[in-house]
Amino acid sequence: MKVSRIFAMAWENMKQRRVRTTLTTLGVVIGITAIISLASLGEGFRLDVKERMQSGFELDNLTVIPGSLFAGLSLDRFTDEKVQEISNVTGVKLAVGVMQLGNVTLYNGNKEPVQAFVATAVNFTEFMRVFPDRFVFENEAPWQYTNDTIIIGYKVNHPNENITEPFAVANDTVDLTLGIPQKTPIPHMEYQNHTFIVGGTLQKRGTPGITNFDYWIFIPLETARTIFNSSEYDLVFAKVYNSEDSEKIAKDIEALFPPYKITILVPLTFIKQVDNILTIIQVFLMAIASISLLVAGIGIMNIMTVSVMERTREIGILKAIGTKSRTILSVFLAEAVLVGLMGGFIGMFTGYGLSFGLAQVLSSVVQPQQNTVLQNPERQNMAISPVFSPQWTAIAFVFAVVVCIIFGLYPARKASKLNPVEALRYE
Amino acid sequence: MSAILEVKDIKKSYYLGKIQVPALRGVSFEVKQGEFLAIFGPSGSGKSTLLHLMGGLDRPDQGEILIDGANLQKLHDNELAELRLKKIGFVFQFFNLLPRLTALRNVELPLTVAGLSEKETLEKAREMLKLMGLGARVDHKPSELSGGEQQRVAMARALINDPKIVLADEPTGNLDTKTGWELVELMQRLNKEKGQTFVMITHDPHIAETADRMIHLRDGLIEEIKEVPRRNRQ
Repeated sequence: MKVSRIFAMAWENMKQRRVRTTLTTLGVVIGITAIISLASLGEGFRLDVKERMQSGFELDNLTVIPGSLFAGLSLDRFTDEKVQEISNVTGVKLAVGVMQLGNVTLYNGNKEPVQAFVATAVNFTEFMRVFPDRFVFENEAPWQYTNDTIIIGYKVNHPNENITEPFAVANDTVDLTLGIPQKTPIPHMEYQNHTFIVGGTLQKRGTPGITNFDYWIFIPLETARTIFNSSEYDLVFAKVYNSEDSEKIAKDIEALFPPYKITILVPLTFIKQVDNILTIIQVFLMAIASISLLVAGIGIMNIMTVSVMERTREIGILKAIGTKSRTILSVFLAEAVLVGLMGGFIGMFTGYGLSFGLAQVLSSVVQPQQNTVLQNPERQNMAISPVFSPQWTAIAFVFAVVVCIIFGLYPARKASKLNPVEALRYE
Repeated sequence: MSAILEVKDIKKSYYLGKIQVPALRGVSFEVKQGEFLAIFGPSGSGKSTLLHLMGGLDRPDQGEILIDGANLQKLHDNELAELRLKKIGFVFQFFNLLPRLTALRNVELPLTVAGLSEKETLEKAREMLKLMGLGARVDHKPSELSGGEQQRVAMARALINDPKIVLADEPTGNLDTKTGWELVELMQRLNKEKGQTFVMITHDPHIAETADRMIHLRDGLIEEIKEVPRRNRQ
């Protein structure tokens, strides 16, 4: 029997039982709606988070810190030579070392102190080349810097948003108390006072991943070297040409050091992991939604089993006129396939419809918290837009048909195995 | 004339719960090509069982049935279905038409199962219904047809694949006397004009006597086989 006639026959059978067909199909529609809406919302959420992270993280920036997060932190520091070696690695555009200064207190002209900040010493020119987007000033640029120039991060300058008066403005004189470790006669701190001129105050930029310059102050590297009598760095920033290569470049940098001596923070890896986690959550949500499709499948099995009983005599007649068991199996399976196709097709539309509706509701209900960490104001709003994913749609569609076939198989086999004589006698 | 159907020492029992009920206890006969054979007997004599076995709908416990040289015992279920499709036409007491299909669609069903195109099947089915005198009733559903008309639709369906043999199980059993006789006449005519072999089961000896030969079955055994003198045939 031709496949087209098998489907035509199945379709006729289904038309005869409209209510029943509608209800079984509805089950599949609901299942597919749940899967598709969760998939498209999840996909939208995942892409939104990914985009936020990509715009937040400086993907082309690797942070090299001493020691291993797993095998123990180290007090080792980086020499000029090592920084040079890192900058020579293929793909690295520029590497810049940062010297971190401990035990620091900063006083403004009114002798008001600020303490909670990170004090660093960098080469301003190089640093600006590595962070052109973050090393941006509130005051007018360009400016000249001298040995007593200090640059102050936004949060250091504005410790409290409610106080409009900044800690200092450009050209103010500030005092910096520095604790300098001494080894003799016994290890102790010697505190020195140094006066700096504020060269600039930085704009608010937040955390692109690991470091937040809002909480940093910067003094010239040469000055720090003189004060501390040291030329080593506590961390190195490496800017790469192409962020896609950053994982490979990180490996190459690691190879410059003995094992477990350094850790490289690669934003791309982090984003990939978050992306993986979100994908897993998405699949998990879809798996939960799939349960509704399984329930629909059981509905199909139930209805078809009843149908087979009702149509026992008809099956007997078909067998008597010479229809093979396989053909009868096919007719019943074709009904299941049609239910799956129809349910899948309708469910695709209702699924996307529902996901847009849910996105609207979510966007209006979830008021975004004012987030000081992520600083792009235009991206603060939680606006998940569902994403049509052809891949997930195809998977859901195939899944619907497969579930229908699997659950249709039992009643269809039951029909095909009927004994013709008994089936003909069936009242 | 050669035998189109051979039945050799057939035995068949049923189980009612745990009790074995013999339906056929060793039946042998032959049906010749183009013959009109009647099997008659009271209810419970095993005639329906015999017909089901001859049609390959069921399998005997013992013995052999050959249709057109093919031994049914040696065929798989699928091969039996194929044989039913191509060589056997069934007519039942209760017509056994598919209630939701029109007369035309009922008649074309075996052709559809055989894999013919829709154009071909509809054309042949229409022709066959015309031959049965139902040219004007093709689009009626069984519920819109009289008993006699329904049985003629069933007859058309049985003949549509041009089978070697038509097995009719009490074809007049559900019809009034007049319509019953009309159907018997139709079968006789088809038997003569188209040379189709008929095996008809009936409990009515008068109808049985219209056949070329009649087998009297009782309690699962053949009581007698007799030629019907030509003058006796109606």
